[in-house]
Amino acid sequence: MSSTARTGSKVGSVGVAGWRPGVDFYVLLALTVIPILMAVSVKDKFYLHVLIMMLFYAAASSAWNIVGGFAGQLSLGHAAFFGIGAYTSTLLFVDWGVSPWIGMLIGALIATAVGAGIGYPSFRLRGPFFTLVTIAFAQVLRILATSFRDITRGSIGISVPFRPSFQNFVFREPADYAYVALAFMLMVILVSMWVERSRLGYYLAALRENEDAAQALGINTARYKLMAVVISAFLTSLAGSFYAQYIAYIEPFATFSLDFSVLLAMMSIIGGVGTVWGPVAGAFLVTPLQELLRARLGGELQGLHLVVYGTVLIVVVILLPQGIVPSIAQWRKRVFRGGSTRTLPLGKEAP
Amino acid sequence: MIAVLAQVAVSGILLGGVYALISIGLTLIFGVLRIVNFAHGEFLMIAMYATFWLFHLYGLDPYLSIVLVAGLLFLLGLVAQLLVVRPILNAPSSMQIFATVGLSVVLQNAALLVWKADYRSVDTFYSKAVISVGPLLVGVSRLVAFAVALAITGAIFLFLKRTYLGKAIRCVTQDRTAALLMGINTQRIYMVTFGIGTALVGIAGALLMPIYPTFPTVGSYFVLTAFVVVVLGGMGNMTGALLGGLIIGLVEAFSGFYVPALKEAIYFIVFILVLLIRPTGLFGVVGAEEVGLK
Repeated sequence: MSSTARTGSKVGSVGVAGWRPGVDFYVLLALTVIPILMAVSVKDKFYLHVLIMMLFYAAASSAWNIVGGFAGQLSLGHAAFFGIGAYTSTLLFVDWGVSPWIGMLIGALIATAVGAGIGYPSFRLRGPFFTLVTIAFAQVLRILATSFRDITRGSIGISVPFRPSFQNFVFREPADYAYVALAFMLMVILVSMWVERSRLGYYLAALRENEDAAQALGINTARYKLMAVVISAFLTSLAGSFYAQYIAYIEPFATFSLDFSVLLAMMSIIGGVGTVWGPVAGAFLVTPLQELLRARLGGELQGLHLVVYGTVLIVVVILLPQGIVPSIAQWRKRVFRGGSTRTLPLGKEAP
Repeated sequence: MIAVLAQVAVSGILLGGVYALISIGLTLIFGVLRIVNFAHGEFLMIAMYATFWLFHLYGLDPYLSIVLVAGLLFLLGLVAQLLVVRPILNAPSSMQIFATVGLSVVLQNAALLVWKADYRSVDTFYSKAVISVGPLLVGVSRLVAFAVALAITGAIFLFLKRTYLGKAIRCVTQDRTAALLMGINTQRIYMVTFGIGTALVGIAGALLMPIYPTFPTVGSYFVLTAFVVVVLGGMGNMTGALLGGLIIGLVEAFSGFYVPALKEAIYFIVFILVLLIRPTGLFGVVGAEEVGLK
């Protein structure tokens, strides 16, 4: 990962002396206004569903990006946090009548504790070894969720009863889910922006580019990686609770699936890993096609959308390793500012 | 009781032989290219489908198709190396992971698209045949798979020790820069090694076909086991992969006997513990996990 990812996304950000709205502000404004207008005007259930899934994936992929992108720790086990959130809020709601709004917070706290518990010992592993631990960890949770039938109902899964009320986090109008998803996505984006601009963000960038050098400079890398995983696990777990309430059915194979973890990472990488807008752009690009193919072609061309995404992923990794957003930002810089850019060549690691 | 336990142990070891064969390809590729091939399982899946179709369309026995399937997978490996792996050989490890994860997603879903999600199996006269050795019952196809897996592993060892190409491969494993300076065409070694790795998994696929059905996601099941084996044995270490395969086979057989529901969970937990406590594996050299990963 190159340091250009960071400088790239800074283009047009809020100035230091005196506040003047930058590109980030306008993007955020557009991301707030356009989905609201769509949720109000679109009546077709399917297109509303696509909108909700776009917002949901943008949020979930941005949450992944905090660990996978900003900290550069490539997790393929985020389905673990997602599943913890989905199962905690749903079980508390169905078995104990606890409102999912409270259940999702409890789930997020559990996911945070679990994230810290598994993260702390795993962070000394690097590269593929870290990724392998995260995969194995999500698999263990899936198997546990499948085999402890007394609590989780095993592979039969759990349905969320349809009793619409705000307190039950069950809505009659699909548009209401869109508003919740939008608020959630905006929250995750704001957290991402905060992480990127805070001291934490700079520590994470330093350890992502060169962990040994960061340590030599006195950065407690284990501590900041832990902070990243805690934030990311919390937000991913919230995404899980939202998903359970919206789809109204969860079961272990879909909830703890490796495919879901890969999808979150894939969206971030295609859009631009380690940037605020990359995961959002990736999710907005990938989700509509996915939902369209799933709904319109159904069983006939099952798998087609993933063949397309996998190919796009490989091409992006080889040709635009920074992802789409930073590449556009760089291009913009070249075209409008002229002159040379202080950037490293594509795909080269900082020395 | 002793007989039952012995029976469990025997099935574990036989299973372990096949795991070892899958894992040796993975560990060889890692040792030489320093890349964890997340698409390794999909190559196994393709090999199993190839064996299935050769049997289904031309009536070719799975054991006879070994050579054909190995050749096919060798060529596929070369193509994959050329198109996907070569461009990212010097990229950061996160990008390498994603290129092979992307390849895995493409292959798995292409299989789903073309062959649908149906389970397909090959039914030969020896598929369910069993021979009894004293009180023990041994499945013929499992025994053959184990024997061939051991023989192939032995052949690979000899190849790496004795031939010029094998020596060159070991040389690149130890130090790619030095190998380059000694006049070894490292790019060619990378290609050949990747091809050998996928050919090995091709053989494993043909051997597995009489035992297991194939389906588009069959690879991800076996590849997770192969990761466990490879890490347990020490990344890049062939002897380790062989022993790791046998150990995981035994762990799986015994946990399947005592706690069937948590069978998989147990070896994943073993895996996590090994990674956390001794990431170099049981037989790996300390520090090896960091070589080439930074």
